[in-house]
Amino acid sequence: MSATINDDDLSAWADGQLSPERRAAVEAALAADAGLAEKARAQRAQSAALREALDPWLAEPIPTRLLAAAAPPPLPSAWVAWRPFLAAAATLALGLAIGWYGRDLTLERSGTPTTFARAAAVTHVLYAADQRRPVEVWANEEKGLVTWLTRRMGVQAHAPDLNSVGFALIGGRLVAGHERPTALLMYENAEKQRLTLQWRRNDPSVEETAFRYAVESGVGVFYWIDHDCSYALSGRVDKAQLLAIARVVYGQLAAAEAQPQK
Amino acid sequence: MPDDALPHPDLVAAIPRLRRYARVLTGEATRADDLVQDTLARAWEKRRLWQAGTDLRAWLFTVMHNVFVNQRALARREARNVSIDADDAGEVWQIAVRPNQQLRVELAEVLASIGRLPVEQREVLLLAAVEELKYEEIAAALDVPIGTVMSRLSRAREKLRRMDAEPAVALKVIRNNPA
Repeated sequence: MSATINDDDLSAWADGQLSPERRAAVEAALAADAGLAEKARAQRAQSAALREALDPWLAEPIPTRLLAAAAPPPLPSAWVAWRPFLAAAATLALGLAIGWYGRDLTLERSGTPTTFARAAAVTHVLYAADQRRPVEVWANEEKGLVTWLTRRMGVQAHAPDLNSVGFALIGGRLVAGHERPTALLMYENAEKQRLTLQWRRNDPSVEETAFRYAVESGVGVFYWIDHDCSYALSGRVDKAQLLAIARVVYGQLAAAEAQPQK
Repeated sequence: MPDDALPHPDLVAAIPRLRRYARVLTGEATRADDLVQDTLARAWEKRRLWQAGTDLRAWLFTVMHNVFVNQRALARREARNVSIDADDAGEVWQIAVRPNQQLRVELAEVLASIGRLPVEQREVLLLAAVEELKYEEIAAALDVPIGTVMSRLSRAREKLRRMDAEPAVALKVIRNNPA
Protein backbone atom coordinates (compact mmCIF):
# COMPACT_ATOMS: atom_id res chain seq x y z
CA MET A 1 0.00 0.00 0.00
CA SER A 2 1.19 3.45 -0.77
CA ALA A 3 -0.21 6.04 1.54
CA THR A 4 0.34 9.54 0.26
CA ILE A 5 3.88 10.43 1.19
CA ASN A 6 4.59 14.13 1.36
CA ASP A 7 7.71 16.19 1.80
CA ASP A 8 7.27 16.26 5.55
CA ASP A 9 7.33 12.49 5.66
CA LEU A 10 10.50 12.42 3.64
CA SER A 11 12.13 14.96 5.92
CA ALA A 12 11.05 13.07 8.99
CA TRP A 13 12.26 9.84 7.51
CA ALA A 14 15.63 11.35 6.66
CA ASP A 15 15.89 12.87 10.13
CA GLY A 16 14.73 9.68 11.84
CA GLN A 17 11.75 11.37 13.42
CA LEU A 18 8.88 9.19 12.22
CA SER A 19 6.81 7.14 14.60
CA PRO A 20 7.32 3.39 14.06
CA GLU A 21 3.93 2.99 12.35
CA ARG A 22 4.45 5.94 10.07
CA ARG A 23 7.96 4.81 9.27
CA ALA A 24 6.69 1.43 8.18
CA ALA A 25 4.17 3.11 5.90
CA VAL A 26 6.76 5.47 4.45
CA GLU A 27 9.28 2.72 3.89
CA ALA A 28 6.64 0.65 2.14
CA ALA A 29 5.99 3.60 -0.14
CA LEU A 30 9.70 4.06 -0.77
CA ALA A 31 10.04 0.39 -1.67
CA ALA A 32 7.29 0.78 -4.21
CA ASP A 33 8.56 4.01 -5.78
CA ALA A 34 12.15 4.21 -6.96
CA GLY A 35 11.97 7.95 -7.59
CA LEU A 36 10.70 8.62 -4.11
CA ALA A 37 13.31 6.33 -2.61
CA GLU A 38 16.03 8.15 -4.49
CA LYS A 39 14.76 11.46 -3.21
CA ALA A 40 14.61 10.20 0.36
CA ARG A 41 18.13 8.79 0.19
CA ALA A 42 19.33 12.06 -1.29
CA GLN A 43 17.93 13.89 1.70
CA ARG A 44 19.64 11.60 4.10
CA ALA A 45 22.89 11.99 2.19
CA GLN A 46 22.45 15.73 2.27
CA SER A 47 22.13 15.73 6.05
CA ALA A 48 25.19 13.55 6.34
CA ALA A 49 27.12 15.88 4.05
CA LEU A 50 26.08 18.85 6.14
CA ARG A 51 27.28 17.19 9.32
CA GLU A 52 30.49 16.19 7.70
CA ALA A 53 31.05 19.73 6.54
CA LEU A 54 30.16 21.38 9.82
CA ASP A 55 31.40 18.94 12.43
CA PRO A 56 35.06 20.01 12.14
CA TRP A 57 34.01 23.33 13.70
CA LEU A 58 33.14 21.52 16.89
CA ALA A 59 36.76 20.56 17.44
CA GLU A 60 38.03 24.12 17.34
CA PRO A 61 39.48 25.46 20.59
CA ILE A 62 37.09 27.64 22.57
CA PRO A 63 38.16 31.30 22.77
CA THR A 64 38.85 32.48 26.30
CA ARG A 65 36.23 35.22 26.11
CA LEU A 66 33.58 32.57 25.58
CA LEU A 67 34.90 30.49 28.46
CA ALA A 68 34.66 33.59 30.59
CA ALA A 69 31.10 34.12 29.44
CA ALA A 70 30.27 30.59 30.55
CA ALA A 71 31.14 31.54 34.12
CA PRO A 72 28.52 33.12 36.36
CA PRO A 73 28.42 36.87 35.78
CA PRO A 74 30.91 38.48 38.16
CA LEU A 75 29.89 40.84 40.89
CA PRO A 76 32.22 43.78 41.28
CA SER A 77 34.27 43.00 44.42
CA ALA A 78 33.07 46.11 46.23
CA TRP A 79 29.56 45.05 45.51
CA VAL A 80 29.97 41.75 47.30
CA ALA A 81 30.60 43.45 50.64
CA TRP A 82 27.85 45.96 50.04
CA ARG A 83 25.39 43.53 48.65
CA PRO A 84 22.93 43.49 51.56
CA PHE A 85 22.90 47.24 51.71
CA LEU A 86 22.61 47.60 47.99
CA ALA A 87 19.75 45.16 47.97
CA ALA A 88 18.00 47.22 50.60
CA ALA A 89 18.73 50.39 48.69
CA ALA A 90 17.46 48.84 45.50
CA THR A 91 14.27 47.82 47.24
CA LEU A 92 13.88 51.32 48.57
CA ALA A 93 14.57 52.85 45.18
CA LEU A 94 12.08 50.49 43.60
CA GLY A 95 9.54 51.38 46.23
CA LEU A 96 10.11 55.06 45.63
CA ALA A 97 9.81 54.57 41.91
CA ILE A 98 6.62 52.61 42.26
CA GLY A 99 5.35 55.17 44.69
CA TRP A 100 6.25 57.98 42.35
CA TYR A 101 4.77 56.44 39.26
CA GLY A 102 1.91 54.97 41.17
CA ARG A 103 1.15 58.31 42.76
CA ASP A 104 -1.07 59.72 40.08
CA LEU A 105 -2.70 56.38 39.68
CA THR A 106 -3.43 55.99 43.36
CA LEU A 107 -4.57 59.51 43.72
CA GLU A 108 -6.67 59.30 40.65
CA ARG A 109 -8.21 56.05 41.83
CA SER A 110 -9.07 57.66 45.11
CA GLY A 111 -10.42 60.56 43.16
CA THR A 112 -7.85 63.08 44.25
CA PRO A 113 -5.03 65.49 43.60
CA THR A 114 -3.38 65.70 40.25
CA THR A 115 -6.51 64.98 38.34
CA PHE A 116 -8.64 66.62 40.97
CA ALA A 117 -6.65 69.83 40.69
CA ARG A 118 -7.00 69.73 36.94
CA ALA A 119 -10.71 69.08 37.13
CA ALA A 120 -11.06 71.85 39.69
CA ALA A 121 -9.34 74.33 37.40
CA VAL A 122 -11.52 73.35 34.47
CA THR A 123 -14.64 73.64 36.57
CA HIS A 124 -13.48 76.97 37.88
CA VAL A 125 -12.95 78.31 34.36
CA LEU A 126 -16.33 77.02 33.28
CA TYR A 127 -18.42 78.57 36.05
CA ALA A 128 -16.40 81.58 37.15
CA ALA A 129 -16.80 83.03 33.67
CA ASP A 130 -20.54 82.64 33.79
CA GLN A 131 -22.05 86.02 34.59
CA ARG A 132 -25.68 85.06 34.66
CA ARG A 133 -25.72 81.82 36.53
CA PRO A 134 -22.36 80.88 38.01
CA VAL A 135 -24.09 79.02 40.84
CA GLU A 136 -27.24 77.02 41.29
CA VAL A 137 -28.04 78.27 44.75
CA TRP A 138 -27.30 81.83 45.72
CA ALA A 139 -25.68 82.88 48.91
CA ASN A 140 -28.76 84.66 50.21
CA GLU A 141 -29.97 81.21 51.11
CA GLU A 142 -26.65 80.25 52.64
CA LYS A 143 -28.10 78.01 55.27
CA GLY A 144 -30.15 76.14 52.70
CA LEU A 145 -27.11 75.93 50.47
CA VAL A 146 -24.97 74.31 53.14
CA THR A 147 -27.72 71.90 54.09
CA TRP A 148 -28.29 70.97 50.48
CA LEU A 149 -24.61 70.34 49.81
CA THR A 150 -24.29 68.37 53.01
CA ARG A 151 -27.15 66.12 52.03
CA ARG A 152 -25.99 65.65 48.47
CA MET A 153 -22.36 65.04 49.38
CA GLY A 154 -23.08 62.88 52.38
CA VAL A 155 -20.58 64.81 54.41
CA GLN A 156 -20.99 67.91 56.50
CA ALA A 157 -20.48 71.02 54.35
CA HIS A 158 -19.13 74.30 55.62
CA ALA A 159 -19.06 77.61 53.83
CA PRO A 160 -15.93 79.43 54.96
CA ASP A 161 -16.29 83.15 55.50
CA LEU A 162 -13.68 84.88 53.32
CA ASN A 163 -14.77 88.46 53.93
CA SER A 164 -11.60 88.99 55.92
CA VAL A 165 -9.61 88.50 52.72
CA GLY A 166 -12.00 90.48 50.58
CA PHE A 167 -14.09 87.72 49.04
CA ALA A 168 -17.81 87.29 49.54
CA LEU A 169 -19.74 84.12 49.00
CA ILE A 170 -21.89 84.18 45.87
CA GLY A 171 -23.37 80.75 46.14
CA GLY A 172 -22.75 77.15 45.25
CA ARG A 173 -23.50 74.24 42.99
CA LEU A 174 -22.96 70.59 42.52
CA VAL A 175 -20.65 69.45 39.77
CA ALA A 176 -20.59 65.98 38.31
CA GLY A 177 -17.23 64.50 39.19
CA HIS A 178 -15.80 61.21 38.20
CA GLU A 179 -17.44 58.62 40.44
CA ARG A 180 -18.58 61.21 42.96
CA PRO A 181 -20.13 64.66 42.81
CA THR A 182 -18.04 67.65 43.63
CA ALA A 183 -19.39 70.52 45.68
CA LEU A 184 -18.52 74.04 44.61
CA LEU A 185 -18.72 77.34 46.45
CA MET A 186 -17.99 80.54 44.60
CA TYR A 187 -16.63 83.77 46.04
CA GLU A 188 -16.11 87.14 44.46
CA ASN A 189 -14.18 90.25 45.47
CA ALA A 190 -14.74 93.92 44.72
CA GLU A 191 -12.76 93.60 41.46
CA LYS A 192 -15.14 90.84 40.35
CA GLN A 193 -12.39 88.26 40.66
CA ARG A 194 -13.81 84.93 41.52
CA LEU A 195 -12.57 82.05 43.58
CA THR A 196 -14.03 78.62 43.82
CA LEU A 197 -13.71 76.18 46.65
CA GLN A 198 -14.43 72.64 45.56
CA TRP A 199 -14.42 69.46 47.52
CA ARG A 200 -15.30 65.87 47.13
CA ARG A 201 -15.20 62.82 49.29
CA ASN A 202 -12.21 60.51 49.48
CA ASP A 203 -11.85 56.86 49.90
CA PRO A 204 -11.07 56.15 53.55
CA SER A 205 -7.62 54.88 52.55
CA VAL A 206 -6.44 58.23 51.25
CA GLU A 207 -3.87 59.93 53.42
CA GLU A 208 -3.98 63.54 54.35
CA THR A 209 -1.67 65.88 52.56
CA ALA A 210 -0.34 69.34 53.03
CA PHE A 211 -1.16 72.08 50.58
CA ARG A 212 -0.12 71.49 47.06
CA TYR A 213 -0.13 74.00 44.31
CA ALA A 214 -0.73 73.60 40.64
CA VAL A 215 -1.40 75.93 37.78
CA GLU A 216 -3.81 74.52 35.29
CA SER A 217 -4.99 76.49 32.28
CA GLY A 218 -3.78 79.71 33.89
CA VAL A 219 -5.77 79.04 37.03
CA GLY A 220 -3.92 78.65 40.29
CA VAL A 221 -5.11 75.76 42.41
CA PHE A 222 -4.23 74.98 46.00
CA TYR A 223 -5.40 71.54 46.91
CA TRP A 224 -5.14 69.35 49.92
CA ILE A 225 -6.66 66.29 51.45
CA ASP A 226 -8.31 66.31 54.78
CA HIS A 227 -9.49 63.23 56.53
CA ASP A 228 -12.52 62.57 54.40
CA CYS A 229 -12.47 65.14 51.64
CA SER A 230 -10.16 66.55 49.01
CA TYR A 231 -10.31 70.30 48.63
CA ALA A 232 -9.27 72.63 45.87
CA LEU A 233 -9.23 76.39 46.00
CA SER A 234 -8.93 77.88 42.54
CA GLY A 235 -8.65 81.35 41.11
CA ARG A 236 -6.76 83.59 38.77
CA VAL A 237 -4.92 85.27 41.58
CA ASP A 238 -1.26 85.10 42.43
CA LYS A 239 0.11 82.23 44.34
CA ALA A 240 0.88 84.08 47.56
CA GLN A 241 -2.58 85.55 47.75
CA LEU A 242 -4.18 82.22 46.96
CA LEU A 243 -2.09 80.51 49.62
CA ALA A 244 -3.14 83.10 52.20
CA ILE A 245 -6.79 82.49 51.33
CA ALA A 246 -6.28 78.73 51.35
CA ARG A 247 -4.94 79.00 54.89
CA VAL A 248 -8.01 80.90 55.97
CA VAL A 249 -10.24 78.29 54.36
CA TYR A 250 -8.28 75.45 55.90
CA GLY A 251 -8.35 77.04 59.33
CA GLN A 252 -12.08 77.65 59.24
CA LEU A 253 -12.85 74.15 58.01
CA ALA A 254 -10.64 72.64 60.70
CA ALA A 255 -12.36 74.74 63.32
CA ALA A 256 -15.77 73.72 62.01
CA GLU A 257 -14.78 70.03 62.00
CA ALA A 258 -13.67 70.36 65.60
CA GLN A 259 -17.15 71.51 66.59
CA PRO A 260 -19.41 68.68 67.61
CA GLN A 261 -21.99 68.15 64.91
CA LYS A 262 -25.53 67.90 65.95
CA MET B 1 37.37 37.52 35.85
CA PRO B 2 37.40 36.70 39.50
CA ASP B 3 38.88 33.35 40.37
CA ASP B 4 35.84 32.12 42.20
CA ALA B 5 33.71 32.14 39.08
CA LEU B 6 34.53 29.02 37.13
CA PRO B 7 32.96 28.38 33.74
CA HIS B 8 29.89 26.21 34.05
CA PRO B 9 30.74 22.78 32.61
CA ASP B 10 27.38 22.30 30.90
CA LEU B 11 27.70 25.67 29.22
CA VAL B 12 31.25 25.00 28.17
CA ALA B 13 30.12 21.73 26.67
CA ALA B 14 27.48 23.57 24.67
CA ILE B 15 29.80 26.29 23.35
CA PRO B 16 31.08 24.46 20.25
CA ARG B 17 27.53 23.82 19.06
CA LEU B 18 26.48 27.36 19.88
CA ARG B 19 29.40 28.66 17.87
CA ARG B 20 28.42 26.49 14.96
CA TYR B 21 24.82 27.62 15.09
CA ALA B 22 25.96 31.22 15.39
CA ARG B 23 28.17 30.87 12.33
CA VAL B 24 25.30 29.47 10.36
CA LEU B 25 23.13 32.37 11.52
CA THR B 26 25.57 35.21 11.04
CA GLY B 27 27.81 33.82 8.33
CA GLU B 28 30.85 35.37 9.89
CA ALA B 29 33.14 33.93 12.54
CA THR B 30 33.76 37.01 14.70
CA ARG B 31 30.15 38.09 14.68
CA ALA B 32 29.27 34.52 15.48
CA ASP B 33 31.42 34.54 18.60
CA ASP B 34 29.92 37.89 19.60
CA LEU B 35 26.53 36.29 19.30
CA VAL B 36 27.65 33.33 21.42
CA GLN B 37 28.94 35.69 24.08
CA ASP B 38 25.69 37.66 24.12
CA THR B 39 23.77 34.41 24.25
CA LEU B 40 25.72 33.16 27.26
CA ALA B 41 25.20 36.45 29.05
CA ARG B 42 21.52 36.29 28.28
CA ALA B 43 21.34 32.68 29.42
CA TRP B 44 22.79 33.68 32.79
CA GLU B 45 20.28 36.49 33.10
CA LYS B 46 17.41 34.23 32.18
CA ARG B 47 18.67 31.08 33.86
CA ARG B 48 15.53 30.76 35.94
CA LEU B 49 13.56 30.27 32.76
CA TRP B 50 15.43 27.09 31.95
CA GLN B 51 13.50 24.14 33.22
CA ALA B 52 15.82 21.69 34.89
CA GLY B 53 15.70 18.31 33.26
CA THR B 54 15.01 19.67 29.81
CA ASP B 55 17.64 19.79 27.11
CA LEU B 56 19.97 22.66 27.97
CA ARG B 57 21.31 22.74 24.44
CA ALA B 58 17.84 23.22 22.94
CA TRP B 59 17.16 25.99 25.42
CA LEU B 60 20.43 27.71 24.56
CA PHE B 61 19.53 27.55 20.87
CA THR B 62 16.27 29.24 21.81
CA VAL B 63 18.09 31.97 23.67
CA MET B 64 20.50 32.44 20.79
CA HIS B 65 17.70 32.61 18.26
CA ASN B 66 16.00 35.32 20.30
CA VAL B 67 19.17 37.32 20.78
CA PHE B 68 19.91 37.05 17.08
CA VAL B 69 16.42 38.07 16.01
CA ASN B 70 16.46 41.05 18.36
CA GLN B 71 19.85 42.21 17.20
CA ARG B 72 18.79 41.83 13.61
CA ALA B 73 15.62 43.81 14.15
CA LEU B 74 17.67 46.51 15.82
CA ALA B 75 20.19 46.58 13.00
CA ARG B 76 17.37 46.86 10.50
CA ARG B 77 15.83 49.72 12.32
CA GLU B 78 19.18 51.44 12.29
CA ALA B 79 19.71 50.81 8.61
CA ARG B 80 16.29 51.38 7.17
CA ASN B 81 17.40 50.77 3.63
CA VAL B 82 18.17 47.12 4.23
CA SER B 83 15.83 44.74 2.49
CA ILE B 84 13.40 43.05 4.82
CA ASP B 85 12.49 40.35 2.37
CA ALA B 86 12.77 37.18 4.40
CA ASP B 87 13.57 35.17 1.36
CA ASP B 88 16.48 37.37 0.44
CA ALA B 89 19.66 35.99 1.90
CA GLY B 90 21.12 39.44 2.22
CA GLU B 91 23.67 38.67 4.91
CA VAL B 92 27.24 38.54 3.92
CA TRP B 93 28.52 35.02 4.18
CA GLN B 94 32.21 35.13 4.84
CA ILE B 95 33.15 31.99 6.60
CA ALA B 96 36.50 31.04 5.30
CA VAL B 97 37.18 27.45 4.56
CA ARG B 98 40.25 26.68 6.51
CA PRO B 99 42.94 24.78 4.69
CA ASN B 100 43.75 22.75 7.79
CA GLN B 101 40.24 21.40 7.87
CA GLN B 102 41.13 19.42 4.80
CA LEU B 103 37.71 19.87 3.43
CA ARG B 104 37.00 18.21 0.23
CA VAL B 105 35.74 20.39 -2.55
CA GLU B 106 32.15 19.20 -2.14
CA LEU B 107 32.16 20.14 1.50
CA ALA B 108 33.36 23.63 0.72
CA GLU B 109 30.50 23.80 -1.72
CA VAL B 110 28.08 22.68 0.95
CA LEU B 111 29.16 25.60 3.08
CA ALA B 112 28.79 28.01 0.22
CA SER B 113 25.36 26.63 -0.54
CA ILE B 114 24.12 27.02 3.03
CA GLY B 115 25.17 30.62 2.87
CA ARG B 116 22.82 31.20 0.00
CA LEU B 117 19.76 30.07 1.93
CA PRO B 118 17.58 32.60 3.75
CA VAL B 119 18.52 32.66 7.39
CA GLU B 120 15.15 31.23 8.46
CA GLN B 121 15.78 28.13 6.38
CA ARG B 122 19.40 27.93 7.43
CA GLU B 123 18.58 27.72 11.09
CA VAL B 124 15.90 25.07 10.63
CA LEU B 125 18.22 23.05 8.46
CA LEU B 126 21.01 23.26 10.99
CA LEU B 127 18.83 22.35 13.93
CA ALA B 128 17.12 19.46 12.17
CA ALA B 129 19.75 17.95 9.92
CA VAL B 130 22.92 18.77 11.82
CA GLU B 131 21.93 19.13 15.46
CA GLU B 132 19.21 16.54 15.07
CA LEU B 133 16.76 18.28 17.35
CA LYS B 134 13.18 17.07 17.33
CA TYR B 135 10.85 19.10 15.17
CA GLU B 136 8.84 20.08 18.22
CA GLU B 137 11.98 21.35 19.90
CA ILE B 138 12.84 23.37 16.82
CA ALA B 139 9.34 24.83 16.67
CA ALA B 140 9.64 25.79 20.33
CA ALA B 141 13.12 27.24 19.91
CA LEU B 142 12.12 29.37 16.96
CA ASP B 143 8.67 30.11 18.30
CA VAL B 144 6.93 29.09 15.08
CA PRO B 145 4.32 26.40 14.35
CA ILE B 146 5.66 22.98 13.52
CA GLY B 147 4.19 23.26 10.03
CA THR B 148 6.43 26.25 9.44
CA VAL B 149 9.43 24.24 10.56
CA MET B 150 8.53 21.49 8.14
CA SER B 151 7.96 23.78 5.18
CA ARG B 152 11.18 25.70 5.81
CA LEU B 153 13.04 22.46 6.08
CA SER B 154 11.61 21.13 2.83
CA ARG B 155 12.39 24.34 1.03
CA ALA B 156 15.91 24.47 2.42
CA ARG B 157 16.60 20.92 1.35
CA GLU B 158 15.14 21.47 -2.07
CA LYS B 159 17.17 24.63 -2.63
CA LEU B 160 20.35 22.96 -1.48
CA ARG B 161 19.69 20.04 -3.73
CA ARG B 162 19.15 22.30 -6.72
CA MET B 163 22.30 24.26 -5.95
CA ASP B 164 24.25 21.06 -5.79
CA ALA B 165 22.69 19.96 -9.04
CA GLU B 166 23.21 23.21 -10.90
CA PRO B 167 26.86 22.92 -11.84
CA ALA B 168 26.46 19.31 -12.81
CA VAL B 169 26.18 18.46 -16.48
CA ALA B 170 23.29 16.08 -16.15
CA LEU B 171 20.54 17.48 -14.01
CA LYS B 172 18.77 15.04 -11.82
CA VAL B 173 15.25 16.01 -12.66
CA ILE B 174 13.18 15.37 -9.60
CA ARG B 175 10.52 17.99 -9.72
CA ASN B 176 9.00 18.77 -6.48
CA ASN B 177 6.51 21.57 -6.12
CA PRO B 178 7.11 23.43 -2.92
CA ALA B 179 4.01 23.30 -0.79
